[in-house]
Amino acid sequence: MKLNRRDLLKAAAASGALGVAWPLAAGLSPAQAREAAEALGAGYDPAPFTLGVASGDPQPSSVVLWTRLAPEPLAAEQDLPDVVEVGWVVAEDAGLRTVVARGTAPASATLGHSVHVPVSGLRSGRHYFYAFTALGRTSRVGRTKTAPAGAVGAVRFAAANCQAFHDGFYAAHRGIARENVDFVVHLGDYIYEHGQVGGVPESHVRDHEGGATFTLADYRKRHALYKGDASLREAHAAHPWFLTWDDHEVANDFSGTGGGAPFMQRKAAAFQAWFEHMPHRDTFGEAALPDPEIHRVRRWGDLLELTVLDLRSYRSAQNLADGTILGAEQKSWLKQGIDKAPDTWHVWANSIMLSQLRGSPGGSYMFTDQWDGFLAERKEVLGHVHSSGLEDLVVITGDWHSAFVDDIHTDFDDTSSPVVGTEFTAHSVTSGAYSADWNRTNGPRMGRANPHLKYFEGNRYGYDVYEVTPERFSTHMRVIEDRRDPASPVSTLTTFHVDRGTVGSYEDQATKNSPAQYRRSRTNRP
Amino acid sequence: MNLVVNGDAESGPGGSAEPVGSVNGWRIAQGAPALIDYSFGGGYPGPSDPGPAQRGSRFFSGGNSPRTALVQDIDLPQTGATGRAAVDAGRVRYAVRGWLGGYAGHEDGVRLSVEFRDVKGTPIALSVLGPVTAGDRGGRTALLQCEAASTVPPGARSARVLLVFTRSGGASNDGYADAISLTLDAATLSTAGGRS
Repeated sequence: MKLNRRDLLKAAAASGALGVAWPLAAGLSPAQAREAAEALGAGYDPAPFTLGVASGDPQPSSVVLWTRLAPEPLAAEQDLPDVVEVGWVVAEDAGLRTVVARGTAPASATLGHSVHVPVSGLRSGRHYFYAFTALGRTSRVGRTKTAPAGAVGAVRFAAANCQAFHDGFYAAHRGIARENVDFVVHLGDYIYEHGQVGGVPESHVRDHEGGATFTLADYRKRHALYKGDASLREAHAAHPWFLTWDDHEVANDFSGTGGGAPFMQRKAAAFQAWFEHMPHRDTFGEAALPDPEIHRVRRWGDLLELTVLDLRSYRSAQNLADGTILGAEQKSWLKQGIDKAPDTWHVWANSIMLSQLRGSPGGSYMFTDQWDGFLAERKEVLGHVHSSGLEDLVVITGDWHSAFVDDIHTDFDDTSSPVVGTEFTAHSVTSGAYSADWNRTNGPRMGRANPHLKYFEGNRYGYDVYEVTPERFSTHMRVIEDRRDPASPVSTLTTFHVDRGTVGSYEDQATKNSPAQYRRSRTNRP
Repeated sequence: MNLVVNGDAESGPGGSAEPVGSVNGWRIAQGAPALIDYSFGGGYPGPSDPGPAQRGSRFFSGGNSPRTALVQDIDLPQTGATGRAAVDAGRVRYAVRGWLGGYAGHEDGVRLSVEFRDVKGTPIALSVLGPVTAGDRGGRTALLQCEAASTVPPGARSARVLLVFTRSGGASNDGYADAISLTLDAATLSTAGGRS
């Protein structure tokens, strides 16, 4: 399959047809664009459920179901009535015979004919199956799971991030779909906003459908393009997801509180399109669309408390003495949550790196778009973690396109300051990392510059799977062999553990000799 | 009938560029707006600047906060030609309108949105207007008419109207708004094939 597609791309390029067939936007109707995309490796579910189905925000008695009607997924507008009635059904079995809930929801053109159905009255801690009907058709069957209540002996979940469409196929999502996990966390950069990159197939396996995204129509098409990867739809249909976002859902390195009217238009369009394409449950506080409220706390029984952070909507500019990455209200909310946190594992879904990262010993921070650009707030929050006595904190992070493991200190410049948790930064699904040469040179350099850094690996792509018990939190770094292969096999590169009640991580003995560009010698537990 | 209370900024405290602590009909979710008289001067929109023909005496501005947000929650009619039965039959259309603007070549602005919600509070329709850009205004102080319309989705029971004023620089938040309205109309049942 891989060879056929690449052969097709090469043949198209050789014949001069690639400029017609891909990039997709050049003079093609939406139907022609879709046909061209499908010929070259994209694929969609049967209309009108082309973008698949999804579920999200699982709670003990409730989960949100999502779909969007898009008969022509790459069209700016769908040739559908203003409102289309969508039926939904939830059952205990994949054949949808033992129905536990059903209903209808309106799919409005104003929301891209998407539906977000909060299904309540479900039993805790069990799988359910669901499907939609509309326009005489039935969607694929999705599977979801409610959160458990009470005592829980184990939870497994996965985290994905950074899935540039042009940089590879979503073999990582194919792997996630096949994992035995309770839920998935997406840490952001679900889409990229920029225009076409070219270089297909020599340096990129595929490309964006048009130029940079600015309007609601642009962002809708971009989300629809990304969902043209069957593995992404498969992963959505297999598990419930929790969601946060990073910058590329809107624009590179943006701040949600800055910018003039043209950018405010763009941001609103991006936020609305994100909502339209995600199994997101809006939280109905003071906010309203097109400003969805993302940050939330969810519990997986008595075992795990998941805090989803929004590090984009409320941030100030970087490198200000009084700058904020959380915004005043979210920071207050986070600190209050820390104060009243139960005795459990605490996991923060954190789109962009929390730990300090200098590029060389005594050198400057590598990127101040991450928490390094918000020093006072980081110190305040981590100091609060320590002073409140919060234990068993694990932060899961995306954005960097490489894997890191860090001890989280209250003051990263003071190695004697308390360690209050562990940060696991996951490989990207596809988005390009630095070169192997850069990683080989800079891995050890970053290790010397950052005494809290325990591990760095930047030559691979994949996702993390976390296995949590009352006694131990284990992070399995799943990696794919080749992001140019949609069915690339998945393997476990290495595993790190954190023991309950003990700060700091250690690498599993069985994988401690796996390839990495930096590994602190004391990362193995004696 | 306009379902928005005080969409014309005419009632309650205000009159100058000084931010107010409350706005009749609206909840201040963030920042502090000013309700400014068209006769106030000082470079703010005046009687002869582009804006609503029937503009009354005052308009909304963002005050001096970087982001000012006003929220108004509206319960949709229970009965009548645009009541629940008509909504649930898909026979009610809505229109959201507002005059939105800003100052000269500055990119401060205001966004008007309306989100329709079902009985559980789930968003089921959304229209977003603005902010208008300096380019839209030809680089002059002005308020421009903006409008969106669609079908009220069956099951809709409430609407949240949101005005968000944003400042791109300086001390004054020069997003301006006036004549905000949300209206419902009984419509003939639409048939398949129509576009929004």
